[in-house]
Amino acid sequence: MKVVNLLVVIITGMVLAYGTMDMPDWGDPNSPANRHVSPGYISDAVEKTATPNIVTAVLADYRGYDTLGETAVIFSAGMACILLLRRKRKK
Amino acid sequence: MTDQFPVLIIIIPLLFAVITPLLGWWRENLCYPWVILSLTLCMLCSIFVLGRVIDTGVVIHYYLGSWAPPWGIELVIDHLNALMLVIISTTGLIVAIYSKNNVKQEIDGSIVYFYTLFLLQVTGFLGIVITGDMFNLYVFLEITSLAGYALIAAGEDGAPFASFRYIIMGTVGACFYLLGVGYLYIVTGSLNIADLARLLPDLYGSKVILVAFAFFFVGIAIKMALFPLHAWLPDAYTKAPSAASALIAPLMTKVAVYVMLRIMFTVFKPSLSIDILPVTDIMIWLGIAAIVAGAVMALAQTDFKRMCCYIVVAEIGYMVGGTGIANSVAIKGVILHILNDAIMTLGMFVVAGIVYYQTKGHNLTDFRNLFKKMPYTMAAFVVTALSIIGVPPTCGFFSKWYLIQGAIIAHCWAFVAALLLSSLINIILFFRIFEIGYGFHETHGHGHGHETVLISEAPMSMLIPTIITAIGIMLIGIYNQPILNNIIQFAVPKL
Amino acid sequence: MLDFIIGKYNYWIYIVLMMIGFYAMIGKKNLVKKIIGMNIFQTSIILFYVSTAYKKGGATLPIIEHAHGHGEHASHAIEASSYINPLPHVLMLTAIVVMVATLGVALAIVLKIYRRYNTLEEDEILKAIK
Repeated sequence: MKVVNLLVVIITGMVLAYGTMDMPDWGDPNSPANRHVSPGYISDAVEKTATPNIVTAVLADYRGYDTLGETAVIFSAGMACILLLRRKRKK
Repeated sequence: MTDQFPVLIIIIPLLFAVITPLLGWWRENLCYPWVILSLTLCMLCSIFVLGRVIDTGVVIHYYLGSWAPPWGIELVIDHLNALMLVIISTTGLIVAIYSKNNVKQEIDGSIVYFYTLFLLQVTGFLGIVITGDMFNLYVFLEITSLAGYALIAAGEDGAPFASFRYIIMGTVGACFYLLGVGYLYIVTGSLNIADLARLLPDLYGSKVILVAFAFFFVGIAIKMALFPLHAWLPDAYTKAPSAASALIAPLMTKVAVYVMLRIMFTVFKPSLSIDILPVTDIMIWLGIAAIVAGAVMALAQTDFKRMCCYIVVAEIGYMVGGTGIANSVAIKGVILHILNDAIMTLGMFVVAGIVYYQTKGHNLTDFRNLFKKMPYTMAAFVVTALSIIGVPPTCGFFSKWYLIQGAIIAHCWAFVAALLLSSLINIILFFRIFEIGYGFHETHGHGHGHETVLISEAPMSMLIPTIITAIGIMLIGIYNQPILNNIIQFAVPKL
Repeated sequence: MLDFIIGKYNYWIYIVLMMIGFYAMIGKKNLVKKIIGMNIFQTSIILFYVSTAYKKGGATLPIIEHAHGHGEHASHAIEASSYINPLPHVLMLTAIVVMVATLGVALAIVLKIYRRYNTLEEDEILKAIK
């Protein structure tokens, strides 16, 4: 059984590494990820959102809906912990 | 105001879920009407949105915060989405109405938190279906999963361990999905589904795209309980509380099938799955394996809820195999089957919950003599069983008919054989229950023939949703042509 | 070949880390060890994403200095190549929160299991359930 687990893990790792062969090098300033959407964020963030910290601008303004989802995740985890760990007082 | 309906579909359950604990701490009895109010408003919004999509035929784009994509997140509603939204909100409403007595019996003392997680899970499902952004889908997938883990772990004796196994497998699935999103982001720079659909076709030769597709598929297969990654499903859905399994079982796997359809046909063009990678051939064989394995394992069960779980595994096999066949008739069958399977599974688990409420057990032997004592419930059960077997004019017959037609056009005889075999095994499964229910196995030698628990018909709040489900199964079957022509025909991707 | 390895070694380090976590999740029998494996797996995915945000050539943090109010006239044009990519950081802030929430729920469930069965080994629990 341990051999099967090890085999699954090694195969997954090799598939992942196979996928990195066509990826851009580390730190390449001309990679597709650095050329498509993020220059728009960097150049327009201060103008449109009045926030110098671009990460905050994206997190709270451009992608604020994701942050709403994240808050719902925390709330859901809190309610889950209460539901599971509540000890009923013996009447 | 009506322009804001797409976002209201998400905001209403979320807002009501946040207020539910406060309301519950004040008066616990107010939780139940509050949940029903929230889901009714949500269902009305989603029906309105479906109506608008059918009337105008135009895909609705809603930019959140008025930021244009791909810099902002957008909600995209086309025919497939709108149908899924109506399915999810209606199922949520039916289970919410049904859950009153169940929840009080099984989870006494923490009803408030149960209903909060209930609304959060419905929010999660709606959020997965309505979004047009890949990372946003991951966030709402995690909302759904977390609420699901907790709802399942609140059940009977072996439930926390079943939920733990579900956590481990579900997290692996979600992380594989996240890895897929990351790989796509690294080579394209975008997270928006429409934008990716535009940018990806130039990159189809790249190894990154192929690996990303593989990880998406495995991750969604874990969430969808596709054989052989289905090991979490039987224990989790059997031991969960009745209202929780009635909510999660019809919806979770079907929403995962929806995500698979989106990834295969909207993000990646169909030609990737059909011509470039042999994905569709693998899917047909996985579908056949799932159907056969699900049917055979269902035969071996003595517990009714566990048997229903294996039927769900087989139904997922229908849908995955149908997607693998990949002609437009089969995809029509798959989308119709999403609708049908949701309502059939709802019917099964609702009946299981009623039996558990009255007899405190969900074994097959607990069905003894129930046909005389609970005639209406059992009538609904018979309708659902006929639909799973595939008898006209219930809805199950029509989706099977389209799947078989699609398989014949594509010359997939193994799939046709698997579908027919599954119908046969379903006949055996359900007629066995009918026999027990009518009391044909009763031996008169037993002295303790009187049950100590007085079993009567189910209370109204549980009976009416069951009957509505049964009527729905018949209506969807009878009106399947209008549904196909107005909605599903436009939801099929161009192959 | 050498610059191939040097060019992409960040991806491979994180893949090795991911596989360590993945093996712990599926291979170990103790419930808490599985949760630790889950944590390692998710953390390494987060590091994988964040590592793709770096830009060589003197790029700095994505915080724009000397920006006042609505920035009517910036003193110099904001060049995209002098700031690192902010989007993976944003996505991973959300992913970290999701990871912590999942960890919390998983530990709550393990606590419930421990209260019931008094053990944390999977084989003993399976024996007790039967």
